[in-house]
Amino acid sequence: MSFREKNRHVGIVGIGETRFSSHREDVNQPEMIREAVKDALDDAGLTMDDIDCVVHGNMELFEMVHQPDLWHTLGTGARGKDAFRLTTGGTTGGTLVGAADNLVASGMYDTVLAIGFEKLQEGHTTGGITNMADPLWARKLQSGALTDSAAVKAIAEFGADRAKRVAMLYRIIMDKHACLNPNSHRAFGLDWDQMEDLMENSPPLIGDLRLIHMCSQSDGACAMILSCEKKAKQQCDHPVWIRDHITVHREETLNLCVNHYPNETTHRFAARHLYERNGITAPLDYFDVFEMYDPSAWWGADWIRDFFLLEGDEHYRLIEEKEIMGGGKMPINPSGGVLAANPIGATAMVRVAEAAKQVRGNAGPHQIPGTVNHAIASSFGGTMWTILMMLEKELNW
Amino acid sequence: MTRNVSICAMAQIKNQPAIWQHRFQGMLIDCFESIMEQTNVTFDMDKGIRNVVTCSDDVFDARTISDAAVTDVVGAHFRGEEKVAQDGISALGYAMACILSGHDDLILVMGHCKESQSESRNMCTNLAFDPFYSRPLGLDYLNAAALQARAYMEETGLTDEHLANIVVRSRKNGARTRHARDNEQLSVREVMESPLLADPIRKMHNYPVTDWAVGFLLCCDERAHEFTDNPVRLTGFGSCMDSYFLGDRELVSNFALKKACARAYAMAGITDPAKELDLVELSDACAYQLPLWAEGTGITGKARGPAWMEAGGMDKHHVNLSGGMLNGNPLMLGGLARAAYGFTQLQGKAGTNQVTGLRKALAHGTTGAAGQHHAVLILEK
Amino acid sequence: MEEEMNVKVSDSLDTMADQELIVLRKTISVDQKFATGPVMGKFLTALKDKRILAIQCPECGRLQSPPREMCAICRVRNREWVEIGPRGEMRMMEYCYYSSPDPLTGESRETPYGAIGILLDGCQKEEVFWHLLRPEHLEMVEMGIVMGDRITRGSRLRPVWAEERSGSIDDIKYFEIDEQAR
Repeated sequence: MSFREKNRHVGIVGIGETRFSSHREDVNQPEMIREAVKDALDDAGLTMDDIDCVVHGNMELFEMVHQPDLWHTLGTGARGKDAFRLTTGGTTGGTLVGAADNLVASGMYDTVLAIGFEKLQEGHTTGGITNMADPLWARKLQSGALTDSAAVKAIAEFGADRAKRVAMLYRIIMDKHACLNPNSHRAFGLDWDQMEDLMENSPPLIGDLRLIHMCSQSDGACAMILSCEKKAKQQCDHPVWIRDHITVHREETLNLCVNHYPNETTHRFAARHLYERNGITAPLDYFDVFEMYDPSAWWGADWIRDFFLLEGDEHYRLIEEKEIMGGGKMPINPSGGVLAANPIGATAMVRVAEAAKQVRGNAGPHQIPGTVNHAIASSFGGTMWTILMMLEKELNW
Repeated sequence: MTRNVSICAMAQIKNQPAIWQHRFQGMLIDCFESIMEQTNVTFDMDKGIRNVVTCSDDVFDARTISDAAVTDVVGAHFRGEEKVAQDGISALGYAMACILSGHDDLILVMGHCKESQSESRNMCTNLAFDPFYSRPLGLDYLNAAALQARAYMEETGLTDEHLANIVVRSRKNGARTRHARDNEQLSVREVMESPLLADPIRKMHNYPVTDWAVGFLLCCDERAHEFTDNPVRLTGFGSCMDSYFLGDRELVSNFALKKACARAYAMAGITDPAKELDLVELSDACAYQLPLWAEGTGITGKARGPAWMEAGGMDKHHVNLSGGMLNGNPLMLGGLARAAYGFTQLQGKAGTNQVTGLRKALAHGTTGAAGQHHAVLILEK
Repeated sequence: MEEEMNVKVSDSLDTMADQELIVLRKTISVDQKFATGPVMGKFLTALKDKRILAIQCPECGRLQSPPREMCAICRVRNREWVEIGPRGEMRMMEYCYYSSPDPLTGESRETPYGAIGILLDGCQKEEVFWHLLRPEHLEMVEMGIVMGDRITRGSRLRPVWAEERSGSIDDIKYFEIDEQAR
């Protein structure tokens, strides 16, 4: 009686995203959400009458609104619907899609609308994140999600020169992707010849983590509509199927030490279990695209190793050989990823949404070449929490 | 639907005015240990708990990602954890869906709320309103409830004395419920003489500030026997959201509660709730809500609340034999307290208030001002 | 009736292009009283006596300081106490240039500062203690690194205690380089 088959298959039938920006004074919170909801409904060719249940999430202390789904009903259209609110920090968006998947698969609801949002302009992001720390101790020490730990580890393992180059190369690749995505908040038009300059002159935040390496603080919302197999096939020519998902959290205390890979990371643990139970032995060969929640270039470059169960410097070589760009061995974040836009409560959902668009083949200017049959998306939050979600083009596993 | 879900175990601490001697982690750990002890459940990735559903709130905990603070004490280190940030009855509803989906066999549900930590509950709930209009007006859950109470009294003729009777009965029932908050017994007169907080809601009409934590182990039916010989099945769940602006709502229509009930009853195969429900636990943060929500569940008719009370409806339908939320449970956990009591009754462990021949119980929770969101769960022996 | 309740949003935001947009600025604060509980409380109380305590897992023996009620790995309640440090070895530093606000006071932190992980004497592996480095020593410390068998020792550090101690993180002003160890 171990991991079992889903009660029924669940497909993504509608995807909506607002444009992402550092400032959306032109809309208030429910209005911004409404943009994403309308986009998702239009994408699916549905109306609110088709929605059975609405799932909402974000973090309250960013905007200082208590249980904002109540006010946001003005924009979510949840009146008269079943409604859940789930939040798990940065992973919220992934949690919401996972929850919508569970709710539909359970048979309790045929069609569920999941909405992630954040309007980071309306509060102080780093202060808001620091609020996650224990008020009796770590709140005095933490500076939001900013940390040098990934850089310190990478430099210890690969040497400063190679590690810094790989991080900046990853950053520029992401910017090149972001420039193709019309929704991007940050798309600078960076080019390879700027590597040295950025490595030297981008303002330092913490240690070797520089401003250019770090994700943005964005306003934006994402909405996704999931339906049971029968409905999905009626509603949509090509639903994207959610095959499986796994959530892995870890304890609150962060370790400020430079013990190199002292334990298995949550990322590797999640990947290992997810692949094992789905019979995937060579993830780098199996998946056609990966949308990763990469809060900084240092983390993004590092985490590829764990998510694909790689060893040594295999992940570095993928970056150095630009195999993470469209047409490469494993295109990562054709959307530009989190470095391009980060409305935190929506960010992890955008990863799933963008991966699903790549599977559908209609991502827009940033659609990667070739057919995308198998996609994977990650969420990041809390104290190194991770969610992995597997998407499939065909119902054939 | 191919599976069924049962509650195999529940553990709670006593509801208290201020658990000043513990962090909320310390409140949860007692519940966690009790569930481990009762069931010998493991966290084995194959056969044990892979996912935990928690219930708490960032504003009440004054922490972003309040669930990050409790990962260790709910056993979620290197396991899944998802926080439901609304009344905890939704956490049970969601946990039920996780099992019905096939994704999980077992879900541990853990909830905590420490109302005593913040300076003012009303300052917290004021933040649930839009910052432009309703928040500066000073709306919070208490005075929004007062508007609803006034409308309900206007419509039905519910009197101050009716309200006092609800409070007196709640205190009596609370005194007979293990883990209920210890409160003074009150006379009708004492309630009627207690000061007004927000007209027509008096101090004694309003639930007192309370700290509490609780845990449940949910399991698919086919494995329930591994953990208990006395499971209680969850057979129906439904929720519904109403409009945000109070002026957009019919405040006494029970729009959302009726829809939530209709969905839960359909799932559980209940056609006549007044006859089929043997126990009804309502989240009555304020006294007037008991008859109003009772109407919403269909155990009495529209605007029939006061007459139903006078005819002994509260005792006949076994409504809030626990003392209800009115006796003291924290916000966020009202629904979990209702479900915990329903579970205790269905297990036959409710002591002097035990109802005999009990088969079906309803547990209700609500989130937001004047019941913007309602959810109900049907429990069965 | 239900149809009419739906919010109507203009598809084109450009229609409002000429409108003056008002932004409402507010600082929101709700006073809190955080309980310390018997576990964190015991640790904080010991700081008053210039002692740093760790709690130990009865199963894996892991030390945690600041202490947690439970060992997350073994899922059992911690009960035994061990005194650690107060001297130790520098393990990791967040050299912070970015001035972020302290959410408990709203005040911005002075930069640069070093948030550090210290392997206090008596601890091993990941059992590091999180505090601040004396600002004057920011450029002088060495991190310690453990990569398999390759171990690089970090600077020896000692705490500088506050004159007035109340049982809080501020009872230790910061850690500084331990000259005696040189």
